[in-house]
Amino acid sequence: MPALSRIPSDWRSRFGLLIALVLTVTILAILRPHFLSSANLLNVVRQISINGMLAVGVTFVLLTAGVDLSLGSVVALAGVVAAHFAHPGDYPVFVPVAMGVLVGIGCGAVNGGVVTWGKVAPFIATLGMMTVARGLALVASGGRPVSNMSDEMKALAGDLWGIPVPAIMLAVVAVAAWWVLKYTRIGRHIYAVGGNENAAHAAGIHVGRVKMFAYTICGALTGLAGVMLAARITTGQPNAGVAYELDAIAAVVIGGTSLSGGIGTIGGTILGALLMGVIGNGLDLMNVSPYYQQIVKGAIIVGAVWLDRKHSK
Amino acid sequence: MKRLFKTLALLGTGALLAGCDPNADDTRPVVGVSLLNLANEFIVTIEGALEEEAEAQGVRLIINDAQRDASRQIQQVENFIAQGVDAVVLNPCELEASSPAVERAQAAGIPIVNVNSETTAVPDAFVGSRDEESGRLAMAFIAEKLGGEGGVLMMHGYMGQAAQIKRDAGAREVLAQHPELKLIAAQTAEWDRAKAVTLMENWLQSYGDEVDAVFAQNDEMAMGALLAIERAGKKDDILVVGVDAIGDALQAVKDGRLDATVFQDGKGQARAALQAAIALSKGETVEKETFIPFQLVTKENVGEFLE
Repeated sequence: MPALSRIPSDWRSRFGLLIALVLTVTILAILRPHFLSSANLLNVVRQISINGMLAVGVTFVLLTAGVDLSLGSVVALAGVVAAHFAHPGDYPVFVPVAMGVLVGIGCGAVNGGVVTWGKVAPFIATLGMMTVARGLALVASGGRPVSNMSDEMKALAGDLWGIPVPAIMLAVVAVAAWWVLKYTRIGRHIYAVGGNENAAHAAGIHVGRVKMFAYTICGALTGLAGVMLAARITTGQPNAGVAYELDAIAAVVIGGTSLSGGIGTIGGTILGALLMGVIGNGLDLMNVSPYYQQIVKGAIIVGAVWLDRKHSK
Repeated sequence: MKRLFKTLALLGTGALLAGCDPNADDTRPVVGVSLLNLANEFIVTIEGALEEEAEAQGVRLIINDAQRDASRQIQQVENFIAQGVDAVVLNPCELEASSPAVERAQAAGIPIVNVNSETTAVPDAFVGSRDEESGRLAMAFIAEKLGGEGGVLMMHGYMGQAAQIKRDAGAREVLAQHPELKLIAAQTAEWDRAKAVTLMENWLQSYGDEVDAVFAQNDEMAMGALLAIERAGKKDDILVVGVDAIGDALQAVKDGRLDATVFQDGKGQARAALQAAIALSKGETVEKETFIPFQLVTKENVGEFLE
């Protein structure tokens, strides 16, 4: 199909996914005309921002053939810590943001360290972090939501020039991540390590450092997502974010990243997050019964991946 | 060398675990407590009141957090039985799935008291509130404020949990009495504030102008719905009512943001449950069921509930 060659290769390889997305959007637009209203579309991008941020982060880890199960717990911990520093009149707003991101970097670096130098399987290392971070979130908050948040912090969930701030943050981060993976040395090394770790090592790539980088970046973006969530619900909730890692990993895999590493793009991840957001929004708009929502959601996710794999062969 | 390190690490872990039981030679009666979820503010309130009451009664508590998982809860009760506790206080995760916990304790001859939520298996005593009453109070408040007509949205908790089923039933009783009060939509936000924000944003897109009131089956979701409605600038047109009277919600009622919540006396439940457990362990008889009443909290009476 020659016309397709003008579409950037990242997106063209996700042709099946685009079909799934267009199909879902078309069906929704027919059944519920206000789905396509600009207010609702802004709504969708607002609602995918947090999952999208986590998905971009965990793309780095999945590309190295790792996994990060601690996302949801770290979101809660970063949110609680950020909320502690976000009481009105205490600190300027960059302090809670920075603290949240630092917490994420810390957790990500520990994950990376345990995986690289501890030689613990990523599944186990990050499962441990999932429990530890949840516990720390409960300790840091005393089991209660941390409320009384400054207006500046709340504004992080608001709009700027009519566009949701979280969506702007996601756009900036996604472009940066895309650039890093495509045009930098470390980006190419990530693909190399995920593709064949032994070959990468033989080629002189410092595998440990590459993995460390991937987990730390993932942690930083998870911390940022925690700050975004705290701003959205105007509290730091120790019980927030349960099972967020599954939605994030699902978005990445829908977007064409291989769970065994080495293959995948940020463009695909964003498409995956969009598809999941559109489904969630659409099911609410159509008032599908809560029992059926879960069935439909699961079926669409598997269907999208199936369609996508069929077309990329 | 490496093996030596491993041995040392194992020994260290063992010592750490042993050090975790400072009450090894304590002779006070012991009550095992398995709680639904210590990440939930209301359950934390129950836990605090249990500890206070235990202090006053001179008993020792072993408190476990089931983290919403019924099978973990059953394991915890099995561990209590193995440890030979004098009684168990169970705050069940689920109606059916937590029932085996009750049955195992009774089979072992250890008295068990359910607090706050029920199980299908009948425990030695139950202390809680009639959850239907909270749904009824909340929806009756909405009906009164709207003069018996208008569009209502309802946010469910986790589908299938006792509190969700009963709060739903109570609310629907009131809806049935007011044919002009229409339930536009009902969805679950799984007791979760972030999910409630998203659901409310989507609802505002679908039903923006038809909505006159939102009943959320707990305060976490009510606070989420409130945030979304405030951000859309529609708070003057939509009533928001929750259940549980958590700290955040009481403050919001006081500030005139949230219209009402329903107070569930967690402390009262915890005290009565522990007292029943202690009495049962001494072979005394207690009331099979004790119901602590709910109270509607509005701007007029919120002062009584704020500590």
